[in-house]
Amino acid sequence: MAYGRKDYGGFTGRNFPFFMVFPAVFIVIVLVVLPMVYSFYLSLTNLHLLHPSRVRFVGFGNYLKLLKDSVFWRSLLNTVIFTGVAINVEFLLGLFIAQLIFKTTRGQGIVRTLIMSPMMFAPVLVGFQFKWFFNDQVGLVNNLLYLLTGRYNPIPWLINYPLNLLAILVAEIWMSTPFMAIILLAGLTSLPVEPFEAAAVDGASGWQQFYYITLPMIRPFIYIAMAIRSLDLGRAYDLVRIMTGGGPANRSEMVWTYTFRLAIADNKFGLGTAMSFVTVAISLFFVAYFFRQLAKSQGSVY
Amino acid sequence: MRRYLFGVGSIIVLVLFLGSLLAGAEELKLGRFDGVTIKACLIGGGDYEKIYERFFPKFEELTGAKVEIVYKGNGFEIDKKMKLDFAAKAIDYDVCWNHTSFFSQYFGFVEPLEKYFTEEELKDFSPRIMQFAWKDGHLWFIPRHADISALYYRTDIFNDPEVRKKFQEKYGYELRPPETWDEFKEIAIFLSNPPELYGTQFAGKEEALTGRFWDILMAYGGKIIDENYKPAFNSPEGVKAATILRDLYQAGAMPPGMVNFLWDDVAANFANGTIAMYTEWYGWYSYFQDPTKSKVAGKFDLARQPKGDAGIHSGWAGAHAFSVTKFSKNKEAAAALVKYITSYEPQLFEAHIGYIPVRNSVFETLKKEAENSTDPLAKKRVELMQLQINEDFTPPPIIPEWIAISDILYPILQAIILGDKPVKEGLDEAAQKVEELLAEAGYYD
Repeated sequence: MAYGRKDYGGFTGRNFPFFMVFPAVFIVIVLVVLPMVYSFYLSLTNLHLLHPSRVRFVGFGNYLKLLKDSVFWRSLLNTVIFTGVAINVEFLLGLFIAQLIFKTTRGQGIVRTLIMSPMMFAPVLVGFQFKWFFNDQVGLVNNLLYLLTGRYNPIPWLINYPLNLLAILVAEIWMSTPFMAIILLAGLTSLPVEPFEAAAVDGASGWQQFYYITLPMIRPFIYIAMAIRSLDLGRAYDLVRIMTGGGPANRSEMVWTYTFRLAIADNKFGLGTAMSFVTVAISLFFVAYFFRQLAKSQGSVY
Repeated sequence: MRRYLFGVGSIIVLVLFLGSLLAGAEELKLGRFDGVTIKACLIGGGDYEKIYERFFPKFEELTGAKVEIVYKGNGFEIDKKMKLDFAAKAIDYDVCWNHTSFFSQYFGFVEPLEKYFTEEELKDFSPRIMQFAWKDGHLWFIPRHADISALYYRTDIFNDPEVRKKFQEKYGYELRPPETWDEFKEIAIFLSNPPELYGTQFAGKEEALTGRFWDILMAYGGKIIDENYKPAFNSPEGVKAATILRDLYQAGAMPPGMVNFLWDDVAANFANGTIAMYTEWYGWYSYFQDPTKSKVAGKFDLARQPKGDAGIHSGWAGAHAFSVTKFSKNKEAAAALVKYITSYEPQLFEAHIGYIPVRNSVFETLKKEAENSTDPLAKKRVELMQLQINEDFTPPPIIPEWIAISDILYPILQAIILGDKPVKEGLDEAAQKVEELLAEAGYYD
């Protein structure tokens, strides 16, 4: 009797699975959900880091303040442009590079290693490097232009808008295209050969094979790569911080540099937290979009 | 015989050495503190620590006390630590770091020092700095060393007969290092020949830009905040100061990348020979004079910073200092340590490392030493430093929100400089934001 499988609703029996997942759920609640809820609460207060004792509940006042803040809108616009351009250029270049490597017959390993090398540098170092490239006085780019044109006319790359955005984009694209290429290359190598053989027998051209077979079949990889990249870009803080600091005069402000400025530099923690919730919402929108596309593409291919 | 003489010689040297130590002790009236341990919370890193390593053992020998450094950190770390320790009632050190830009936050836990020092002992310090050390009738810190900026200008350009002639023709007065900020602007614009040579430059972001703006503002008699903690930089004086910065940039007298410069960028530009004159901290002097690193070695001179309409010379400055904590159980011993470490000998030692002293006796010694220097500017440099430390030294508005104010002000100053915002409109906007900040902080309650 003592050993019978009687259901006490206790540690064993029907509730057993719940006990098994409890640690995971507990950890998620403590480390993710509670801080999230608490920080949302903070975003509804006027918490100021220098004067924590004067904290007061202000409802959605911080969010309203942001809506009325022209720098906020500028940072949002810059971020959308930055993300949109970067992700598309990186995708096209990455696909091109992936194809090149895939078609390479000899020395593929070496080429792959070379292509991946930009990924080995810390973004902060890449930022410093490109900051120097685009320096208007001693930078590589202006000196190169001088050599090519023979006229010394220094362009203030990091000062003028949208040149500063362009400079950051170049650094970002240089740094992250290899990541795109590697994931797409993984997609290419995983493709079955039969459809291509069949297409070749039917007389399809290389372009047709690429457009009608390769592209649809690697679509899941494309969306995964894009989802990851859009998350990365949403938090591309280090490059911007090093190259322009969101400045000068907020000209190259992005959502994360502005969040930092509000929450840490200006000590307006409540407002900064509200800003970060807006930022997360934007990132979530992009990710949700790409994951929906991913789900769709999986339905259509398999 | 020779060995015997050597023995006698070394004994004499030893006696003289001990004698001098005793004499020093007598002169300083340190007292004996056998068995007492003095705990200290001090600024650390690099050259800051040399004075502790060298002079704390001497102090221990002289007084019998033991010195224990319980914390070392940079200025911002130590500022945070002391405020947190105070809030938690956990201050267990006797001597602490202090600074002219920070000290108004520390009144709650710092011991007034006037009863531990005689007037005689204090009169050697720069009177200008001591003016800031006294507040509400109490003496809050003893200065250690200071920093301030001078005008660096290129002698090869300023002495070029061709340039001088053209300048005289155009402006009707002789080309010389500018004495006023209006002349500064005129000369900078005149000398500019971009992109080979720019008339001047400033560090263009963060506190570096706010500080330089304030440098010019104070010369015109303006203030960042007034006595009632209301922002005052959008005054006519503020408009003048910001207009100078904007006009210099718009006229092409500053490098277009200026709004992205920090301290090392401006120094590199001057060393690279593309800047005719600008204001810079003394700390960079030896870098500019090093021909392996700088193209302008031997080709520049120093001058006092220009003044404005108010007849005040710019003098954004700061001084590191020492204080005794209110919670110390050995205040006498702690004050003795502060007295010793800020005395002539340790101060001279720090001056030789490269810090600007705050004692006039140390300046006198440095001037004598400079007479034998191979550097033709050595003596002038010390004299100028002394003049500025004694007359122009001005710490920034001493409220905890200084950096927060700077973070509001500098992006707007950038916008003004770049021409994105009209001067008055921009300053008014910044003033409104600063007022909001200070209102939220409870200054007007």
